[in-house]
Amino acid sequence: MDQYSILGRIGEGAHGIVFKAKHIETGETVALKKVALRKLEDGIPNQALREIKALQEIEDNQYVVKLKDVFPHGTGFVLVFEYMLSDLSEVIRNSQRPLTESQVKGYMMMLLKGVAFCHENSIMHRDLKPANLLISSTGHLKIADFGLARLFSNEGDRLYSHQVATRWYRAPELLYGARKYDEGVDLWAVGCIFGELLNNSPLFPGENDIEQLCCVLRVLGTPNHRVWPEITELPDYNKITFKENPPIPLEEIVPDTSPQAVDLLKKFLVYPSKQRISARQALLHPYFFTDPMPAHHSELPIPQRGGKHSRQRLQPPHEFSVDRPLQESLVDPALIEGYAQ
Amino acid sequence: MFHNSSQKKFWQFDGEAALEKQRYEANQKFRSKIMASGKPVSDSLFLDPHEEMVIFRHYEKRLIDFCSIFKPTMPKSVVGTAVMYFRRFYLNNSLMEHHPRIIMLTCSYLSCKVDEFNVSSTQFVGNLQETPAGQEKVLEQILEYELLLIQQLNFHLVIHTPYRPMEGLLIDLKTRYPMLENPEVLRKTADDFLNRATVTDVGLLASPSQIALTAVLNSASRAGLSMESYLTECMGLKDDKETMSKLMDTMRRMKHLTKKYELPKPEEVVMCKQKLERVYAEFSSSNLKRKRGYEEEHEVAKKPLLTEEEVWTDEDLDSL
Repeated sequence: MDQYSILGRIGEGAHGIVFKAKHIETGETVALKKVALRKLEDGIPNQALREIKALQEIEDNQYVVKLKDVFPHGTGFVLVFEYMLSDLSEVIRNSQRPLTESQVKGYMMMLLKGVAFCHENSIMHRDLKPANLLISSTGHLKIADFGLARLFSNEGDRLYSHQVATRWYRAPELLYGARKYDEGVDLWAVGCIFGELLNNSPLFPGENDIEQLCCVLRVLGTPNHRVWPEITELPDYNKITFKENPPIPLEEIVPDTSPQAVDLLKKFLVYPSKQRISARQALLHPYFFTDPMPAHHSELPIPQRGGKHSRQRLQPPHEFSVDRPLQESLVDPALIEGYAQ
Repeated sequence: MFHNSSQKKFWQFDGEAALEKQRYEANQKFRSKIMASGKPVSDSLFLDPHEEMVIFRHYEKRLIDFCSIFKPTMPKSVVGTAVMYFRRFYLNNSLMEHHPRIIMLTCSYLSCKVDEFNVSSTQFVGNLQETPAGQEKVLEQILEYELLLIQQLNFHLVIHTPYRPMEGLLIDLKTRYPMLENPEVLRKTADDFLNRATVTDVGLLASPSQIALTAVLNSASRAGLSMESYLTECMGLKDDKETMSKLMDTMRRMKHLTKKYELPKPEEVVMCKQKLERVYAEFSSSNLKRKRGYEEEHEVAKKPLLTEEEVWTDEDLDSL
């Protein structure tokens, strides 16, 4: 712990306080997530174990937040993450004008690259939502909070909990109480996030679990075994029936959106999980290859933590002054090395 | 995936000599720590590496027995993970420092959580033949040791066991190797091999898929079936003499290790245990301050633990 000096408090997570700190040796700013173990009757919480498991077993990826270190501290331990300025929920909330189509594309591309990476490494995140998509000071989006992440396997006999994912982003099979599900739950959440970026407001803002299902059904239409054969096997299918309701065309849900965007959105928001487009495939969708092209990360807004004004970055990022020493206005080559491939 | 796992990066070793060296160093480290405390002690008081091995194997067996009678039934991968934790822990720690009785339970408790075999803490200790008060005491100790354990495991929690690769191999044989009429006949003997490999250093020396392959080939050769063409044709090793000979070498070493394994004799265990308890009695209150509170509780918990010990007799030792 003496390797770090605490700079301030960032917030409170599910299992502890998160601090902003500086690694004294390197001068690097990091986020410290303290996991205290006092008074926990089951010992180290599963969420903390899952987070360590998921992040330790995958190689570095630009779109997944990096676990830099874990060390014991006092009665618990500390997870060290790279420091991130903000998250996507703040971007959506605070941007003064709606995000441009090109910016939405930029975020979607980074999100899908991160999700594809996780899925290819047999990790389902299970709690994708804007607040878990962190934004770095360079405008990069990185997936964080693997507290619900599970290593999945195709053994098929293990049951999972359906009480995962934040309600608005919860896939319909989870709402019907499914205990066997797959990475499709993440793809549903990606669809919800996509819709939220397009509309600047959540797609299915249910107030409770039943209403959540209503929200989804209102848009996608009441499911039946023709569009969703597996539905009859879901635990809660018989517990609740809804009035027969036709689907609403997605064009009406996300108005003023390009046809390609709507087409891609449709491919995420389908009832049968297996029919949702995979993250890897989605990256090949024409949406990403038609004008306007996805924004470069330097063209994305950098909101400040705590809901202050978002700062639309100026181009170029520095103003030049003739009086300043030349070295100061140069970018440290080490910082950009990773991108200069 | 194994190939980018912490297991491959940090917990695969070149040979048995490297492992022996680490254990020897752990043993030495404990000795010098006691010596440094200035207490006059005779060298003969300490357990030597062989005696540590005797105790280790005894408790490792008890760990497996505890897991196999656990209710609800513990999946094999959970058991495999627990045993591997136990091995990793005592690779860098002397048994004289932390008592294997509590470490083995902590390993098993942690593996349940990590492998998502969800049992509550009360359910877990409910599997001990103890009074409710005794169970609570043990749970307290487990929770106290959990942090030390994951720290000693370097926070590397995911263990790849050979069980999944073995299923994969059997499927592969069924689909791509018609020479073998019914690959399922190999399962029983192959399973036995995996069980025997669990209590050796095999898991620290070879990848899970290599262990599984050895189990399957071993089972085939016992049944008088030749599977060489599976390696040469299906695995594409025909023209890769170097990989082939390396693989053969690894497999030979694994077979040798599992064959060599012997459970320590009961009288030897009794002797070493007495010695171990003397070590604890001697040093628990001197320089090991942090552990002091624990050791005192430990004495209290000892009586019920002894009854539990009686339940785990050595009767079914031959079953493996």
